[in-house]
Amino acid sequence: MPDRFSLSTARKIAWREARASSTRFLFVILAVSLGVGALTGVRGFSQSFRGMLMRDARQLMAADMTVRAFALPTPTQESVLEKLARSGVDQTQVTETVSMLSIPSQSTPVLVSVKAVDPAVYPFYGALKLNPPLTLRQALQADAVAVSGDLLVRLDIKTGDTVKLGEANFRIAAVVTAEPDRMAGSLNVGPRILMSRAGLDRTGLITLGSRAAQRVLFRFEPNSIPVSRARAELKEAFPDAQIIDYRETHPLITRGLDRATTFLSLVSLIALIVGALGVAMAMHSHLQQKMDIIAVMKSIGARSGQIMTIYTLQTLMLGLLGGAAGIIVGLAVQRAFPPLIARYFQIDPGLHWDPGSALQGLATGVLTTLLFTLPPLLSIRAIRPSIILRREMEDARPHWRDRLKNGRTGAIAGAVIIAGILAIGWWLSESLRVGLYFAGGFLASILMLAAIATGILALLRRAARWSRQALPAAIRHGLANIYRPGNQASALLVALGLGVMFTLTVYLVQKSMLVQIANSAPPGMPNVFLINITSLERDGIAGMLHHQKGIQGPAEVIPIVSARMLRIDGAAVQDLPLKGFSRRFRQSRSVTWSDSLNSQTVVTEGKFWGPKDTAQSAGVQLCVGEDVAKILSVKPGTRIDWIAGGRTFTAQVSCVYRSEAVRIGSNLEFLFIPGALDGIPTLHFAAIRMQPALVAQLQRDVFRRFPTVTVINGADVLAIIQDVVDQIALVVRFISFFAILAGAIILASSVAGTRFRRVREVVILKTLGATRRRIAGIFSVEFLLLGAVAGILGSLLATGFSLLLLKRLFQVDYRFEPWPHLVAILLTAILANIAGWLASYRILQQKPMEALRNSL
Amino acid sequence: MEILRGINFAVPRGQFIAIMGPSGSGKSTLLGLLAGLDTPTAGSIVLDGQEIAGLAEDSLALIRGRKIGFVFQSYQLIPTLTAIENVLLPHELAGEANGLARAMELLENVGLSERRDHYPIQLSGGEQQRVALARAFMVRPPILMADEPTGNLDSANGEHVLELLLSMNRREGTTLVLVTHDATLAAHADRILRLKDGVIVGDELRA
Repeated sequence: MPDRFSLSTARKIAWREARASSTRFLFVILAVSLGVGALTGVRGFSQSFRGMLMRDARQLMAADMTVRAFALPTPTQESVLEKLARSGVDQTQVTETVSMLSIPSQSTPVLVSVKAVDPAVYPFYGALKLNPPLTLRQALQADAVAVSGDLLVRLDIKTGDTVKLGEANFRIAAVVTAEPDRMAGSLNVGPRILMSRAGLDRTGLITLGSRAAQRVLFRFEPNSIPVSRARAELKEAFPDAQIIDYRETHPLITRGLDRATTFLSLVSLIALIVGALGVAMAMHSHLQQKMDIIAVMKSIGARSGQIMTIYTLQTLMLGLLGGAAGIIVGLAVQRAFPPLIARYFQIDPGLHWDPGSALQGLATGVLTTLLFTLPPLLSIRAIRPSIILRREMEDARPHWRDRLKNGRTGAIAGAVIIAGILAIGWWLSESLRVGLYFAGGFLASILMLAAIATGILALLRRAARWSRQALPAAIRHGLANIYRPGNQASALLVALGLGVMFTLTVYLVQKSMLVQIANSAPPGMPNVFLINITSLERDGIAGMLHHQKGIQGPAEVIPIVSARMLRIDGAAVQDLPLKGFSRRFRQSRSVTWSDSLNSQTVVTEGKFWGPKDTAQSAGVQLCVGEDVAKILSVKPGTRIDWIAGGRTFTAQVSCVYRSEAVRIGSNLEFLFIPGALDGIPTLHFAAIRMQPALVAQLQRDVFRRFPTVTVINGADVLAIIQDVVDQIALVVRFISFFAILAGAIILASSVAGTRFRRVREVVILKTLGATRRRIAGIFSVEFLLLGAVAGILGSLLATGFSLLLLKRLFQVDYRFEPWPHLVAILLTAILANIAGWLASYRILQQKPMEALRNSL
Repeated sequence: MEILRGINFAVPRGQFIAIMGPSGSGKSTLLGLLAGLDTPTAGSIVLDGQEIAGLAEDSLALIRGRKIGFVFQSYQLIPTLTAIENVLLPHELAGEANGLARAMELLENVGLSERRDHYPIQLSGGEQQRVALARAFMVRPPILMADEPTGNLDSANGEHVLELLLSMNRREGTTLVLVTHDATLAAHADRILRLKDGVIVGDELRA
């Protein structure tokens, strides 16, 4: 007979069947929606927060991306820029140069750094503040400039006075009090003169061949071309230019953002897995309920394929409904939280409805629902119809998990699930590596959990048998309940254990990350820098700083020597195929020496010299920064020939380091052993931390005693950096809290999901004369025990998983602390108990007869 | 453990045979085997000319769907389907369309046309069993298997169900295999097979 059983018939039956048991289905849908809600909620938050953090980081360069070159754009380059402009990329040009400024009453001119901008659009991000509080457009007329406060100090002039720059006179319209991208430009020696492009034209400073840096600022509209593509096009058009985007404004921000991003996608994945666990538990107990029905269907002629079709369709339907509900939950959570977080975030995270991520949530919800219902669906084939002839149905039916252990179907289902998790992880995190870690962690923990759960259950059974009469009845029954056939103890143990593991992992990882983030931007970081200190002035400056008001902590004074590389392992540096900004290594670089590394610097390769070593005792050695090592292919053992102060010498690389500290002012990429640079003309550089309000006073004092020393005020920039870092920490904390909360709710719901299986048990106990109190007591013992065991297993696994993730994905050290684990175990036990209680409450109130009629 | 052994008998088309025996005699197991709900460890079972011992589960399901109607002691209606949907189910599983008229007719035959949209939980035990009867006849099976069909019912309801079963059986010309330990029920049969400890201890053809 041809098979005329169509999909529409299956759909019809599936729908009829679902319609009737709406309460039970509601529960499953709720579980799915919780999972999807957690996923979309966490992902929605992550995206909003990521956007917010990026926006903060952008302030440091006032743009999404900049191209910096030392020449005006050629016609070809202009056309590339125009093409970008047409595809929705805003741009503005900033010109920077160095010049001499003078005033009529004084003969000595002052070296100033000039910056010409388009006041109508600059800056794209952040705010440039003036005193008096004018807008840039008001202040920067063609005949007016804004200047930094130190110029007024140096020249003893005030706002409204006239200064001469190049061939033109300018009125000082305002003082620049905050310039977010002060450190993003080059040629930052001397006080700042900010002017319009029309003003710059009047000076006549920019002629062919004059040394001026052209910086093009870009802002990408939401629907413009991707940053990466624009970057590639610009790279081709401007081979010699330095192109940076907002992720690279600062090493600290880059690393912080990278880690936060990895963390956020990890948490989304965890939210998904924990959600999927809820779904799996709900679907599992749902299908378990259906076993009798399936047997009946089979006895009246249904083939396994038909039944599987019916229930797959039903699952799909549940997944879709739950997913849709979950998206609404996720949205509601996102909408409900901003008022709460507004207190902590200065900037509105800009929550927005994103159909893409909603669709993603729905797809993952349906997919995980299907994946996790695969084992019970496959086990439909193994249900023997003859069970309906027996009266003891529960016992006649082996647990599907047990059958899975041997079955080929089990292996296939397992493989499909793991592959599915890998694919989903890969898709959501856009990283195969994260996907692999995830699927691997999931597989390993589920295997371990299943093995340990089986072992513990066997042990409990034995323990209960030995102590049979010694224990109070409630505890005895509670224990017996756990290994009673048909009880889902081992499934629940695995689900709870996994849930605890993932949730605790979120906590442990964020904790270690926060420690790391706090360390990399310590509150005492230097924010004011003194440059061009000669060796003669060094002690004077040090002494003065020692007594200056407002300075926090000791001043760090670093010697700077100008040196140029000649050969690397015998190969002439001039001949190396260096491109773009890397060509800087052909010129003189600032180098220094030191007998130790500061706390924010870590050696990544090789070994740093000892504290007593000198060039004379240990040979001429140096360490290089990570970027240098990469660009020049330098590693420990490489020999570099140098020329400095008319002297040539050879030094051997002994280590490569990475600096996580804020680097403002000088980028020290080369660090020599003490003694190596003796006798070469040296300038010094001092870094101090001081109260922002007292920086002007320091500038005046330094200028009076050491007129050639320049004071750079990095307080504003540092404030932004610290803001970003603080926000990263806050975001990490917030998302973790949310994920942990969602995890707890889902775990509670999976315990509650077992309630339908308890109906018959309650009825029998009641029929035999047990009071509700006694039954509740029995359940308490069971749930407390299950919760505690799951908590212990989960926290053990969380330790391993966190260790792996922190080491491999975040490069952060993991420090074990017992408290989180103890709290997790205790909370799990209590949570399981409360959830079990709540779920059983209604059943306990029912009359036995009512339940008997309901329990078919 | 051997439940049944040395069982050897044949049931001609249209016969009403009652299988009797005390609890644990193996009568339910025998019924399960005859109906293809279970497969024997050894031996042969021929159903309507077709060997079914050792067939795969899905082939058995196809045979059950087309050739056998079931009536169980505990009714075994699908609790999530209405009365009419329960009756329709075997028809739909066989991939047939337009069964509604016959399903209604059957419900009418068992006197439940008013309750077509009720769920099993809203029906009394007797009513549930009558729905199960209608379901059993839905695909016009040549064979009907009944396992203590009145075992869960009081005598009035039991009699009503039995009458319906017999009259429908006569009308459809079905072979009827009835498992029971109730002698009054068995008294209606053409033939009584007695089982004890897994062996046939009596095979009595009645007038």
